[in-house]
Amino acid sequence: MRVSNVTVRKRLIAILVIALGIFFIFIVRLGYIQVFKNGWLSNQALNSWSKLIPYEAERGDILDRNGKVLATNISKPSVLVVPRQVRDPKKTAKKLAEVLGMSEKKAYQDITKKQSKVYITPEGRKISNQKASKIKSFGLPGVFIAEDFKRSYPYGNYLSHVLGFAGIDNQGLTGLEAYYDQQLKGKNGHVAFFSDARGNRMANIKDKYVPPESGNSLKLTIDKRVQSIIERELNLADQKYHPEGAIAIAMNPNNGEILGMSSRPGFNPENYKKVPQEIYNRNLPIWKTYEPGSTFKVITLAAALQENLVDLKNDHFSDPGFIDVNGTKLHCWKRGGHGDETFLEVVQNSCNPGFVKLGQKLGKDRLFSYIKNFGFGQKTGIDLQGEAKGILFNMKNVGPLEQATTAFGQGVAVTPIQQVAAVAAAVNGGYLYEPHIAKGWVDPKTGKEINQTSPIEKRQVISEKTSKEVRYALESVVAQGTGRNAYVQGYRIGGKTGTAQKVKQGGGGYMENNYIVSFMGFAPANDPQIVVYVAIDHPQNTVQFGGTVAAPIAGKIIGDSLSAMGVKKQKGGLQKIAKYPDQPMLKVPNFVGMDREELEAGMLDLKVDVVGKGRYVVMQSPQPGVKLNPGSTIRIYLGDKKEKGD
Amino acid sequence: MIFYLMRCLAMAKSKTTPDLILIIVTFLLLTVGLVMVYSASAILASYHFDGDSFYFVKRQLLFAGIGLFAMFFVMNVHYWMWRQWAKLGVLICFLLLIAVLIPGVGLERNGSTSWLGIGAFSIQPSEFMKVALIVFLARFLSENQKYITTIKKGLIPSLSLVFLSFGLIMLQPDLGTGTVLVMTCIIMIFTAGAQIKHFVFMGLMGLTGVAVLIISAPYRIARITSFLDPWKDPLGTGFQIIQSLLAIGPGGLLGFGLGQSRQKYQYLPEPQTDFIFSIISEELGFIGATLVLGLFCLLIWRGIRIAISAPDLYGSLLAVGITGMIAVQVMINIAVVTGLMPVTGITLPFLSYGGSSLTLMLVSIGVLLNISRYTKT
Repeated sequence: MRVSNVTVRKRLIAILVIALGIFFIFIVRLGYIQVFKNGWLSNQALNSWSKLIPYEAERGDILDRNGKVLATNISKPSVLVVPRQVRDPKKTAKKLAEVLGMSEKKAYQDITKKQSKVYITPEGRKISNQKASKIKSFGLPGVFIAEDFKRSYPYGNYLSHVLGFAGIDNQGLTGLEAYYDQQLKGKNGHVAFFSDARGNRMANIKDKYVPPESGNSLKLTIDKRVQSIIERELNLADQKYHPEGAIAIAMNPNNGEILGMSSRPGFNPENYKKVPQEIYNRNLPIWKTYEPGSTFKVITLAAALQENLVDLKNDHFSDPGFIDVNGTKLHCWKRGGHGDETFLEVVQNSCNPGFVKLGQKLGKDRLFSYIKNFGFGQKTGIDLQGEAKGILFNMKNVGPLEQATTAFGQGVAVTPIQQVAAVAAAVNGGYLYEPHIAKGWVDPKTGKEINQTSPIEKRQVISEKTSKEVRYALESVVAQGTGRNAYVQGYRIGGKTGTAQKVKQGGGGYMENNYIVSFMGFAPANDPQIVVYVAIDHPQNTVQFGGTVAAPIAGKIIGDSLSAMGVKKQKGGLQKIAKYPDQPMLKVPNFVGMDREELEAGMLDLKVDVVGKGRYVVMQSPQPGVKLNPGSTIRIYLGDKKEKGD
Repeated sequence: MIFYLMRCLAMAKSKTTPDLILIIVTFLLLTVGLVMVYSASAILASYHFDGDSFYFVKRQLLFAGIGLFAMFFVMNVHYWMWRQWAKLGVLICFLLLIAVLIPGVGLERNGSTSWLGIGAFSIQPSEFMKVALIVFLARFLSENQKYITTIKKGLIPSLSLVFLSFGLIMLQPDLGTGTVLVMTCIIMIFTAGAQIKHFVFMGLMGLTGVAVLIISAPYRIARITSFLDPWKDPLGTGFQIIQSLLAIGPGGLLGFGLGQSRQKYQYLPEPQTDFIFSIISEELGFIGATLVLGLFCLLIWRGIRIAISAPDLYGSLLAVGITGMIAVQVMINIAVVTGLMPVTGITLPFLSYGGSSLTLMLVSIGVLLNISRYTKT
């Protein structure tokens, strides 16, 4: 009794069909894996087979505008160990320890780590070429020398805040090194060797070398000669005044190129690890925000001139020593006032009530609109990290008093770079430029420029004609007014002094006897080529006046820089006018009882040796009436009590 | 005994030539196997056996020789001969399967105690059980075909034997071999003419059984999830599948060329045994792998053809049993290495390294060839 043969036959055929069907599925699956997923799986496989020995890309150099090297690299190879390839760990550890000057035990631990590759840190990182070639000569299996670099700043403290520095993995951490890290760092290369699961090299696949691509060199707008002058002057100021800080910026007003920029306290980027973070992280020229004081009057002046509200030579102002604003008396720095003066003299004398008057003529809206148009209250956009944007009054809270103080530079907080950009606009014909520090990129191999940054003009704030008037007024400040210490024969320097009060931290008014003294200058006045701002924070052993401390520094920087840049001295321009007609011999005036701000006017041709602290002069030596040569030193004793003069 | 020998001699007269295509396919598979075992194992062999890269292939060659000799011998032994030994064979295999489970007697390899013997001369009782059971079932089902449609007299006696041996194999545990055994027997019972509804019922039972097995051994759950998404645990449960796919995938259409596998450099575990097909796909590409699959298709086609044209039901069932055993084992292996199934340790017939398996396969082919000599016209 058989189940019919037909059934068996049918079932056998069914089995065959099912089996072939299943094999068809396999073929489809294989096609999916081998053809469709081929690329993805190949990548996965390559990743799992290849072991990389990195070749660090050489970081781009940083050059000044004339190609002088400011930051570069020194070849410092690193030791890389592939533990699985190490044949004799004990022997290897001993040899490595010997050359690298480390304990054998630590070397052994490092090279037997269960990782695909190990850097011996820190002993084997960025070692000398001699050590590297010695290790290479041992021919130890599994020990490799990977190309690596150490960043080098050949001039030490020079330009350090701007340059910043790069860390151990050649990554930019601060300054330009961080801002332009992407372009500077290049692309790391590697040697990929293919190894089996135990890390032994596969014999039949060739090593693959992907060469590193060096980063491009960054060419700056910085002029090394100008920068050197700035560094020198700040060093001198540092020694002389022991200030809390110092700032200097030099910029080409016609395109926003920064020619030099420095600040104190400084640091050496190669030792950044030993420097407090707040020193290297704060690039004061773009970060420090403070009330500018009288340098800000340039803005009020430019606005008033642009709006045709004042005729400098013909309009007069009478300064009784104060001005009443809504019942509050705002005093001029000169006790008793300047009396009757033209508005040109208001500028020369830096007369506060006169500027309040100009502010009132402008009105709140126009004044603040000019302030904003000159770029205050927002970042200038300079290509550096950590720029601050300053603080302006909230327009809702601006009453007549706030408007009045703003007009002479109090109550607003700005950064040095904002002031430089604004004043540059005021004197260059009215064009506000974005300050910048990168001039272009240079191919490291050919030395050819790849691209150049073009200046960015943001807007025209005032007219050419107004700008000309501003230049004239500011030239007269240096020739005949409070800025006379900045005067350099033949360079037609214009400028404005500033003595800014510092707001106490945490509020509560201004600090006592603690000023930021500053000077904003430019030259030549008929065709400005450079704008220089110098600020000294709380200078010691001197009267804290912008005209006394900052103006001579700025004058020196401008004069030496123009000379270095090849700008010719010229004849003409405003001549320096002696303050006292009885030159050459000066009769020492009576300073006793004067307050410190008043001193500024009378001190210009005498050197001052200040003793003590306080707001008022209590004693002086020599006594009033003694005749001295200009440039002689007199000693002033300061105290807090106001003594009555004789 | 004598009766059967006489009968064999009688039938020998009506012998025709054996299936030539099957012989050719077998030789081709054997050749591919030897070449690929060498290619896949050379690196591992020279690492483990003092630079003797031929270590594995020499042994495989030896067993291929023994196997071929046995195949040609068996080809000339009338397949009815084996009928005689069916009961005894199954009994001996049962005893061996029990012996393997006695602590100290069985040898443990890769977590399973499946082996008996000393060193290289060890055998897997479960392998022999597969063959013994095929012969036994072929005889039992052909003698009792009239009951095959019933549960009591047809299914239960045959299945109880199948599941008893499956149970013993699972105690080792060896899921792969156990599955091959069960699937092969089911194919035979199906061929014999069992009712379809019974298969549906058994299928449901089977699913329940699988569920129970999974719950009883949690490591199987990990295996199942790893096959669904091997990249979830690339260094643990998903490791083998990933390494297999990393061999197959990059092979592409044409492969890296013979001997050019990268994955055999100790990335892929056991490249010469369970995962030899991955290496074939990597070195010979989609085209090479498909050709190998095609050889297996030819083998199955010839096997089924022999079963269809066998002179008696016993011959048909024996042929389909052998063909089914080979086919199921190939399918499970390919499904595993291509990531279609959870990993179960099972070798690829004729291609994987392994002496006893290869010999047994060749002997089985010998039986098939013998059946083919009595083809009905």
